[in-house]
Amino acid sequence: MSGLAVAAPERTTTPGPVRRRGSYRWSARGFGLPALLVVAVLLYLPFLWTTWISFTEYNGLGSPSWVGLDNYRAMFDDPNFLTSLRNTLIWVVGSITVPVGLGLLIATLSYGMRFGSWLRLPFLIPYAISGVAVGVVWRFVLQNGGGLSQALDALGLPGADSRWLSDAPLNTIVMIGAAAWQQSGVNALLFVIGLQSIPREPIEAARLDGASGWRMFRHMHWPMLRPLTTVVVGLSLVASLKTFDIVWVMTKGGPGRNAETLAVTMYEETFVNSAYGAGSAVAVFLSVVTFLAAITYLRRQLSPERTV
Amino acid sequence: MTPMAARILRPTVLVVLGLIWLAPIYLLLVNASKDPARYAADQVWRPVSDFALFDNMRQAWEIGGLGDAVTSTLLYSVIAPALAVLIGAALGFGIVALRLKHGFFWFVLVFGGTVFPLQMILMPLFVGYVEAGIYDSRLGMVAIYTAVTVPFAALVMRNFLGGIAHQVFEAAVMDGATTWRIFWRIYLPMSTSALVAVFILQATFVWNDLLLGLALSQSDEVRPLMTAAAALQDTYGGLQLTAVLAGGLLVSLPTVVLFLSTQRIFSRGLNLGQF
Repeated sequence: MSGLAVAAPERTTTPGPVRRRGSYRWSARGFGLPALLVVAVLLYLPFLWTTWISFTEYNGLGSPSWVGLDNYRAMFDDPNFLTSLRNTLIWVVGSITVPVGLGLLIATLSYGMRFGSWLRLPFLIPYAISGVAVGVVWRFVLQNGGGLSQALDALGLPGADSRWLSDAPLNTIVMIGAAAWQQSGVNALLFVIGLQSIPREPIEAARLDGASGWRMFRHMHWPMLRPLTTVVVGLSLVASLKTFDIVWVMTKGGPGRNAETLAVTMYEETFVNSAYGAGSAVAVFLSVVTFLAAITYLRRQLSPERTV
Repeated sequence: MTPMAARILRPTVLVVLGLIWLAPIYLLLVNASKDPARYAADQVWRPVSDFALFDNMRQAWEIGGLGDAVTSTLLYSVIAPALAVLIGAALGFGIVALRLKHGFFWFVLVFGGTVFPLQMILMPLFVGYVEAGIYDSRLGMVAIYTAVTVPFAALVMRNFLGGIAHQVFEAAVMDGATTWRIFWRIYLPMSTSALVAVFILQATFVWNDLLLGLALSQSDEVRPLMTAAAALQDTYGGLQLTAVLAGGLLVSLPTVVLFLSTQRIFSRGLNLGQF
């Protein structure tokens, strides 16, 4: 048994020789029940409750009072929310380009090279450490006058006196860099596996025809890596919409809430401001956006008439 | 570009990028090892003169309360994923072997539990846990970690068990085995590799969780490790920066070791990366 994604073989459609299918009805339910119960009580019930609370005013004490769409209206008038929305958009754009592009670059540069897997190792180390530790390290590196500033200073480059984690949108951009530092290596690994699965014959044929370097990549490797890229970009898209850990650890949402993402705003409204209705509205908005983004992306990628 | 130039350029670009990638690791290791009395904020690139890494780690462990948190997180990241793979495998067994009616619908329902962001469930869990008296309790943490890891376990286990021929089940029935025995003695042992892989992935997820810990716990005894590690940074004054870094290093060691030792398994079964 090699992989985990074992495809189901054709099932025997004849009923079992001993008992007919119906006789396992109760034990089948018994085996399915724990999963359904735990998911229903701890995931779906809270999910529905949050949706309901988003239409009420509620601070955890007393009972929620229905206010219709007020929370949503207030949300779009709230400058903090709009900042958070803008930051989340920057996160999405940054996350589907930088770590994916770097992963692709590292993979194609190192693929087929002697010691290629050794040269990839530095990029994989950050992936093994947790998001919280990544945040701790980068918060240290990006302090005012810290590691990065000192390095820029020593190299005679500009920017040494930047306030990396205080000024918006600079703080969001450098945090995307920290996230890319963690993510690029595993993307590179995925692309290397993709490159390994490309059949050798057409590549050899192209090589004999004189293709190499960029032309080889553009016309041979890239078209064959496209399906994998679709998956990697899709995963990055959904994950970036939920960005929380790294922002929380590095800035707690930034001075004056200027580095918040939607996921952080929801936490802030609910657990810091005790505005449960407002926090729930942000949560619902985030879920709808995530859902729509995933659906739109999948449909766009899967539609047959799409060109290139 | 001539092939010769490419042969030099490619490794050069990779080495330079690699060095940039290692720089933060260098800063972490060097500054986590410095004696706090000698640490100079304006000379973070300077190598260590005296090695105080273990003293700094002890500081984080004791003052930062990482000791309690490690015990809690070990409990959470062993018990919850173990329960989740069993629960997920049971659902898979019910669907695949016992042909649970509307099995696909139930499966989609369970898997759908991972589709929305955790933000959708935090507040009700907090309020509900307080009502039920399990806020800030290890029981409550194990329960929610199990719930969030069940959907993925169900996905993989259903796929995997689907690869076992139904004749296996029929033969066991002929021998007079009960469904429970078939599940426990035949199907589970046959799927050890999948169970282990899912367990490792989910244990890593629980180990690295910050958000659920922030929302559902507060005391040093219950708080999971990452939540405690994130809080190290807020105890400035009590804790030196060198100790904060040593703490960050310390909490990462188990996952780094796990990653390096299991890398082989996952490069074979990396299809998992698709989920």
